[in-house]
Amino acid sequence: MALPVLICDDSSFARKQMKRALPDGWEIDLTFACNGVEGVEAIRQGKGEVVFLDLTMPEMDGYGVLEMIRKEDLPAMVIVVSGDIQPDAQERVKKLGAMAFIKKPIDKEKATQILTEFGILSEAE
Amino acid sequence: MGATAMTAISEDQRDCYQEITNVAMGQAADRLARLLDVYVILPIPKVNMISASELHMALADTTVNDDVSAVCQGFIGSGIAGEALLVFNDASFSDLASLMNYKGPLDRHGELELLMDVSSVLIGACIHGIGEQLEISFNQGHPVVLGQHCHVDDLVKSGNHQWSQTLAIEIHYEIENVNISCDLLLLFTEDSVAKINQQVDYLLD
Repeated sequence: MALPVLICDDSSFARKQMKRALPDGWEIDLTFACNGVEGVEAIRQGKGEVVFLDLTMPEMDGYGVLEMIRKEDLPAMVIVVSGDIQPDAQERVKKLGAMAFIKKPIDKEKATQILTEFGILSEAE
Repeated sequence: MGATAMTAISEDQRDCYQEITNVAMGQAADRLARLLDVYVILPIPKVNMISASELHMALADTTVNDDVSAVCQGFIGSGIAGEALLVFNDASFSDLASLMNYKGPLDRHGELELLMDVSSVLIGACIHGIGEQLEISFNQGHPVVLGQHCHVDDLVKSGNHQWSQTLAIEIHYEIENVNISCDLLLLFTEDSVAKINQQVDYLLD
C-alpha cells in the first residue's frame, strides 16, 4: 500500500519545491495542506503518516500542528522544513516531537538523506 | 505609455518572492541570533509594487513616531540592481549595546558602530540569500548612513525619487524578550523588475 505523505506549507511555490524534492519512484499517496488547520485535519484522516511541515503559516503555524499531534496522539512522523533555522527554532520543534529538521530551500539530496536515515525510504527504493 | 502597465507582479510571483525572502531573512536572523544569543521573531515578509509616495507610507507604517537611524547599501548583479534600507528604532540601542557587550559610551559614535555591525549582518545575509536562490551573485556597495536620530519623514524627503513604481520587499525584525526592532526594505530599480521577474519565473516553471 502506498505511504500517505502530507506536505503542509502556506506557499504554493514551497509546496511545489517540496514535491519536486521527493525521491523518484517513491510509492506514496500525496496530499497538500495550505495551513496548519488543514494539515491537522488531513493527519486526522490518516493522510499524513509522513508530514513535511513548514513553521511560519497563517491560521495555525507549525508549532501549533506539532502540539495538536501530541495532544491527540496522532500517528505522524513529522519532518519540519523551515526557513527559520535559528538554533532556538530547531530545539523547539524537536522538543515538540518533530523527528527531523530540514533547512529551506529543500532539495532532493537533503530529502532522500533524511528519509533514508529514519528508515522511511528503504535501500531498494 | 505608463510604467505601471509593465510592472505588475502575478500572485504566483508574489508567493515566490515571499518564500525566497522568507528563506533569506531566516538565514540573516540565524546569524543575528547566534551573534547576540537571542531568538529573532520572523513575520511573513511583504512584497509589493510600490510608488515613491507609497515608500513613504511603507516606512511610516512601521516606525510611527519614534526616532530612527538608517543605513542604506546598494547591490548589483546580473543586470539587477537595488538598495537595501535598514531603519533602526533608536530605542533599541541600549539593549543592543548590552547584548553585544559594547563597553564604550553610547553616544552618536557608539550607536553608529552598533548600527553598522547589525546592518552588515542583516543586509549582507539577506541579499546573499536572495541572490543564491535566484542564482544571481550580487555585489554590495559601501553602506551609507542616511541619518541618525531623525524622523522617518526626513529619510524619505532626503531621497531623490526618479522612479514611478518599483518592487519593494519589507521585512520586520524583532528580538524576543528585548526592546530591539528594525525594518529592512529592499527596493529594486525600476529597470530591474522585468529581469528579476524572469529569474523568479524560472523557479516557478
